[in-house]
Amino acid sequence: MKASARLLTAAAMTLALPASASAQTEINIVAFAPGFAWADMFGVSGTEKTDKLRAFEEANDITVNIEFADEETARQKVLLDLVNQTGTYDLVMLGSDGAVQTFSYAGYLEPLDDLLATATDYFDPEAVYPQFLEANRVDGQLWALPYYSFGAGVIYRQDIFDKYGIEAFPATTAELEDVLATIKAGLEEDGMSDVYPLTMRGAPGEEPSLDLAGFVYAYAGYPAWFEGGATTPEEIRQTDARPIFTGDFRPGFEAFVEWSREYGPDGIATHTWVDMMNLYGAGQAVVLMPSAINGFAALGGTENEDVANHTAFAPSPKGPSGEPIQSFWTFSVGVSAFSENKEEAFRTLAFLTGEQAMQGFAETVGWPYSTFPSITNGEVLTAKWPAEMLSQIEASYEQANPHYFPYIPELNAFMERIGTAASEAISGSKTVDEALEELQAWAEERMERAGYYE
Amino acid sequence: MMSAPRRYDRALTAIRWGFLGAVMVFVVFPLIWLALASLKTRAASLEVPPRLIFTPSLEAYEKIVASGLVGAFANSFTIAVTNVILSLAIGVPAAYALARMRGAAQENLSFWVLSIRLAPLFAIILPLYVLFKGLGLLDTRLAVAMAHLTLTLPLSVWLLMTYFRAMPVDLDEAAMLDGARPWQTLYMVIVPIARPMIASVAVIVFIFSWNEFLLAFFLTSRDAQTVPVVVAGLAGTMSFDWPLIAAISICSMVPALIFVGFAQRHIVEGLASGAVK
Amino acid sequence: MAVSWRFWFVLPMVVALGTVVLFPTVYLFWMSTQHWLVTDPERFFIGLDNFARLTGGADFWQSLRVTGAYLVLSTVLMLGLGMGLALTFARAGTGWMRAIVVMPLVIPPVVAGFTWRFLLNGEIGFLGAYLLPMAGLDLNPLAEPRAALVSVVIADVWSRTPFMFLIFLAALQSIPRDFYEAARMDGANPFHEFFFVTLPLLKGALFVAIMFRLVDAINTFELIYVMTRGGPGRATQILSIFGWRTAFQELDFGQAAALGVIMLAITLAGALLVFRRFVRGQVGAA
Repeated sequence: MKASARLLTAAAMTLALPASASAQTEINIVAFAPGFAWADMFGVSGTEKTDKLRAFEEANDITVNIEFADEETARQKVLLDLVNQTGTYDLVMLGSDGAVQTFSYAGYLEPLDDLLATATDYFDPEAVYPQFLEANRVDGQLWALPYYSFGAGVIYRQDIFDKYGIEAFPATTAELEDVLATIKAGLEEDGMSDVYPLTMRGAPGEEPSLDLAGFVYAYAGYPAWFEGGATTPEEIRQTDARPIFTGDFRPGFEAFVEWSREYGPDGIATHTWVDMMNLYGAGQAVVLMPSAINGFAALGGTENEDVANHTAFAPSPKGPSGEPIQSFWTFSVGVSAFSENKEEAFRTLAFLTGEQAMQGFAETVGWPYSTFPSITNGEVLTAKWPAEMLSQIEASYEQANPHYFPYIPELNAFMERIGTAASEAISGSKTVDEALEELQAWAEERMERAGYYE
Repeated sequence: MMSAPRRYDRALTAIRWGFLGAVMVFVVFPLIWLALASLKTRAASLEVPPRLIFTPSLEAYEKIVASGLVGAFANSFTIAVTNVILSLAIGVPAAYALARMRGAAQENLSFWVLSIRLAPLFAIILPLYVLFKGLGLLDTRLAVAMAHLTLTLPLSVWLLMTYFRAMPVDLDEAAMLDGARPWQTLYMVIVPIARPMIASVAVIVFIFSWNEFLLAFFLTSRDAQTVPVVVAGLAGTMSFDWPLIAAISICSMVPALIFVGFAQRHIVEGLASGAVK
Repeated sequence: MAVSWRFWFVLPMVVALGTVVLFPTVYLFWMSTQHWLVTDPERFFIGLDNFARLTGGADFWQSLRVTGAYLVLSTVLMLGLGMGLALTFARAGTGWMRAIVVMPLVIPPVVAGFTWRFLLNGEIGFLGAYLLPMAGLDLNPLAEPRAALVSVVIADVWSRTPFMFLIFLAALQSIPRDFYEAARMDGANPFHEFFFVTLPLLKGALFVAIMFRLVDAINTFELIYVMTRGGPGRATQILSIFGWRTAFQELDFGQAAALGVIMLAITLAGALLVFRRFVRGQVGAA
């Protein structure tokens, strides 16, 4: 009995064995996309530390531990950690389309403005495109630093455009609709039933919402979610602004749905960005928009020569309002309010998002997007991409309004609902009006309950 | 006189083999597809129509070895084996006692055990997280094993209880008359006979724990990640690597298959000896 | 005395389950009465408001319908297939065939979901983009609302039937041969045999199988999530996915907990019904 008891205790101890202790400060970070995010730091597999990272660790007496998970599920982990104030993660992966807004209002994040000055050797806020910082500013405070980030744009197949006699990528949504119709007719005539004029994403949940919000902005000319285009809790409270999903929100939503149905692949109502990327990479889509970044991701993996050789970039077309369709996002990282080592955490953050890190990103991944002008115009990217394209991409940042959707604590929930409504309308299980009426009713209830209209 | 059954038999045999053939195709097809995908390059894995003849590439498997996923396999294995041991060590006596109980106590208790599995997982994630955080057990294999036990223990108790109840009471009564204590009766009389069933339960418990995703996902972060958690983590990445996912899936089957193979011997043995009569 | 050994045999189980389960259950009930939005720093008691809002909205009922359809469809298919396989293997088939039939069980559902998603994908999937169109079936199995539900059921059947099969096989093996011989002597044909000998003796196994199917179906999550994310729209959004969305995407912990409580109540009621029907009779007979 004694021996077995000892065995059990030993077994229990092995099971409960904590991570090996270390004298250095440990900074834990959770992120997604191993082998892509910080491949220059954690290697292609996301588990081996490179010399670059080791040098940082030694210089600062910090050990950096990274944990990778799937994007959407990683967010739930961050959420649980923050809600319970666990503090497992010193640095948390956010994103400027919900998490930054939600968690900063909830008090889970550390404001960074005062910390910025402590690590300018790694991250110089003056050297970044200001829009990417702006995207992570909520209520006048900075809550996260941007890692890879992008603006709106279109990737398309020049060879197929040429084939159907389309000379240039259209500058407006109205012209683009005609072009898509031409391509559709041409593809049908040529019997190419497995090639689709357009690929976007329409899976339920927040997946389509960033792009859909961009459509709404381009069609309405302002963030048409609440009356008067209110985008902050204060504005909504002061003007008593009600949701307008059945109002000015509608044209952009309808266009997104109609285009998806008319010109997109059959399965678009369950497509995530992975599907749109695979489809474009396999040569089965002519136009990918408005997040051109997914097109560049497709180019990186494609072995289809037509796709590799005949892909062109164009700025995002302008909607009826004169504003271009937006798609502006930063993969940003913030410091947990429950971290025990906030200064070290910030130092690590500054290192991981600073110029050196972005240079490494440009070298390993090589997409034409960067948060630093010096890198966009630097050797690596200018050698790889045409100068005209890079300047168009820079222009898309300047044209971007990072706040093209409201910055309210409920943003996550809204993104979730909007995307699901779009998916329903695209799949045909609801009409556009039915989907929007339901969305409107839900939004009114949620805003009411959150106490906006008291 | 024998012709009628014989005709039935022949027709039945044909139906049996036909049915079996159809099921085999349904079952095997995705498996073969998975195996083929694991040997392709990324672009080749997305081609339509898929090529059946291609130069196999072991790239995906090399990545697994290189990336230290081996740790996840060790975690999954430890957790699953712990579950098997605990759910049998606790489950066998409990199931036996329940099988030999009568009346309201038996009914209520066995229903309570079952009801534990009825809790929707998404709703108890947060409470479980709070609990394990309070115990300081987050990201340990112990936490995952304990959480899994709430799923596997009711399962093993129920499977065993139904089985024990079908066993004649005379066996244990005879043993008890010979002066055996209850635990002696259980381990010297009942368990040897029930070995095939216990082996099946062990297999099922192992597999449940091995495959479970949701609880393992939320209770672990770095040290105690299990295989399904790692697979899910790889799936949504920027460079969608279908061959890698397929390769990990194939690898994730291996330990479970070994275990099943091992335990199946006992099932067949039990069948051959016709122990339960 | 007789009670005491049973008590000691059961005690470790009660302790093991009770300690892990008690706190979460109480916590869940408490949560369901709270105004608990992650986006709102204030958390307070609101009685049954979460329940009222939930049952007053269309989402809950829609998900309940989807869950019902999913549950019935998958249970019928799984029980039929699992039973058929067990009966077949009792008389035909070889060891390696049985090993193959059991194989999907050792594939994590999350992987099974990915596999089927890629097989059924309407643009690049072998089945969805190649075989189905060749067979003249022109529909996208993942994006057409009804087909999507059937698709996730097929994947689930593929993944979980072996479990049913194992339960039935184990139970079949415990039926003495003489029962059948006796039946044959009485001139029973195979169908009589099945309905009057096999089925009654499989009652216990059938109950366990249905019970655990119910539990599994209620908690199916990752399989559907990776295949369709509950879509298109809400076409495959079963309650567990709805709950997940409510809690972790819409950050409404109170309402998600209320949904959890309602689901618990529904499954408990269902389980009790089946339990009464199957087990009472059996205990009486034993």
